[in-house]
Amino acid sequence: MSKIYFIEASQLNRFFVWIKEDFRVFTPAAKAPLGNNVEQDYCYVRAQGDAPMVYNPYRTVEPLKSFFTPAQEKLLDYFSPDKDSSLQQKEKNVIFGVKSCDIAGHKVQDYVFLEGTEVDSQYRLRRENTLIVSSDCTGYKGVCHCLAWDILPYPTAGFDINLSPLSDGYLVEVGSAAGDSFVQKYEEYFSRAKETQINARKKKRENFIEQLKKHLLPQNLVSKDAVQKLVKDGYNSATWQEFMQTCVECGGCNLICDTCHCFLLADRTTPGEGKADKGKHEKLRLWDSCLYANYARVAGGANPLKLRAQRLRNRFMKKFDFFVDNMNMPACCGCGRCIEVCPGKIDIREVLKDLSKKAGHKR
Amino acid sequence: MKNIYRPIEAKLEDIITESPTIKTFVLRCKEHFEFTTGQFAELTLPGVGEAPFTPSSNPNIKDKIEMTIMNVGRVTSLLHNSPTNISLGIRGPYGKGYPLEDFFGKDILIVGGGVGLAPLRSLLFSLFDQITKFNKIVLRYGARTPSDMIYKDALPQWAKKSKVDLVTTVDVGEPGWQGNVGLVTTILKDLPVDLNKSVAIVCGPPIMMKFVTLKLLDLGFQPPQIYLSMEKNMSCGLGKCGHCRIGKYYICKDGPVFTYEQLKDIHDIWD
Repeated sequence: MSKIYFIEASQLNRFFVWIKEDFRVFTPAAKAPLGNNVEQDYCYVRAQGDAPMVYNPYRTVEPLKSFFTPAQEKLLDYFSPDKDSSLQQKEKNVIFGVKSCDIAGHKVQDYVFLEGTEVDSQYRLRRENTLIVSSDCTGYKGVCHCLAWDILPYPTAGFDINLSPLSDGYLVEVGSAAGDSFVQKYEEYFSRAKETQINARKKKRENFIEQLKKHLLPQNLVSKDAVQKLVKDGYNSATWQEFMQTCVECGGCNLICDTCHCFLLADRTTPGEGKADKGKHEKLRLWDSCLYANYARVAGGANPLKLRAQRLRNRFMKKFDFFVDNMNMPACCGCGRCIEVCPGKIDIREVLKDLSKKAGHKR
Repeated sequence: MKNIYRPIEAKLEDIITESPTIKTFVLRCKEHFEFTTGQFAELTLPGVGEAPFTPSSNPNIKDKIEMTIMNVGRVTSLLHNSPTNISLGIRGPYGKGYPLEDFFGKDILIVGGGVGLAPLRSLLFSLFDQITKFNKIVLRYGARTPSDMIYKDALPQWAKKSKVDLVTTVDVGEPGWQGNVGLVTTILKDLPVDLNKSVAIVCGPPIMMKFVTLKLLDLGFQPPQIYLSMEKNMSCGLGKCGHCRIGKYYICKDGPVFTYEQLKDIHDIWD
């Protein structure tokens, strides 16, 4: 059994303000509402001053990956030495408000950048220098569908510490050695959780799952076990053609996705009239999207993913076939960010349901 | 801290014209760089961009690397028009090359199309270096026209080697051309190989690899005997950037050399 502590609500805010002495703290902030009937959104901001922690009931707008692989970053100067010290990141980050779906999705990022033929040492360093403070979901957005992929609305692993709100404070579960030292460092704020408090957490969690099930069951979503066969059998389905009609190739679905990891290496010669570094050659890494027309284009112009329908299908094959084969899990965490972001209203749940309908599969 | 995307500096020592559209670039690396035949590398024009190429030189020659490159895109066209003695970047080597040990004692059929002969030249050099371990080399090479053929001087020399059986063809002849005319599939008849003890290695444009593979299957080759050099727009070379996925594989890390057995159930492999 992992260590579980209790922290009073007022103490948590003191703790939250205090740790800024030692860490760069990122926390969700409520975005100004856009109008009536629009769900409240939360975005990550750098915690400032004495502002209290904002408890986001559900995930933020941005994916967790943006802390580890920025949308654009310089990887190197030509020709840098073998051991490049410019990569060092000294700052220690703490990220609050991470949700279970983020952690599940981020497994894919870890798989890509920490495993395989080579470890991306920049990514590893950022991972090592970042503490993840996750928290239970106490609400959901309309697009949330974690349970469809057997992901619970509270994390059970993959965090450093996890917060679960109770009536008068929070339970603080330790999930890693780093999380343990973090709590030890500020031990005066925490007390051992009581059995009654742990039971209260259990009850709250169960109640919330019931609530979420009521939201999801009527949607009749495709299940984790069925999805690989579904996309494989549906390779030539009319679904791809039908759903791509409204795709405007903005790439939003990929860029906002916590499992999408594709990037492009690009070279540039720095501009900057009269500046010292003008004309320096550098290599950049940029997030890429498999919905962009040139994603798969090769020199000479051949493009195996010429058509939007092929690219939409490719996105699904990567998530639900490739990653099931390679990681034994689909690369979707049910966060629904891609659904929210899409100007063409292409809904990952509906695409899968349509494949299923056309195949006459049982879901 | 090690930066896995870091290219090492290489001096462009010489540029050899092979055909109107193809040149061989001779590089001398400033740091240790070694590859096995069939592996590829990313060649970088600093500040401009990079592209994946498979070396065409002998991997046993360690101080120089050659890459034979067709002028087809942004990076390749700049390379074709660049002077010698400039600094290029090279990253790699990446992927899995040809499993030479699996070829020991066998008849090795090599089918090349166009600039696809470039990686195969590296393979040939590797085979020549330990020729006693192989039964024979049957090389079939097709180019669009006689002037599009590469390694024009080397081909007749290879043909003279013992254990080598070489036939070439062109899709379209030119005045004075006395050789075969026809697609490379037309010179795959009556191959002097023992089907039970042979492998076939194919490299060329996708359309050529497709029809050669179909022909080889027709002739009785089994999918595990056919080795294909696959290409997509590999960007990182490390199985991370996502571009070169094919089924459950990344061409950059699981390939670029695959057996047809590995690929035969994957959709659209020739696109």
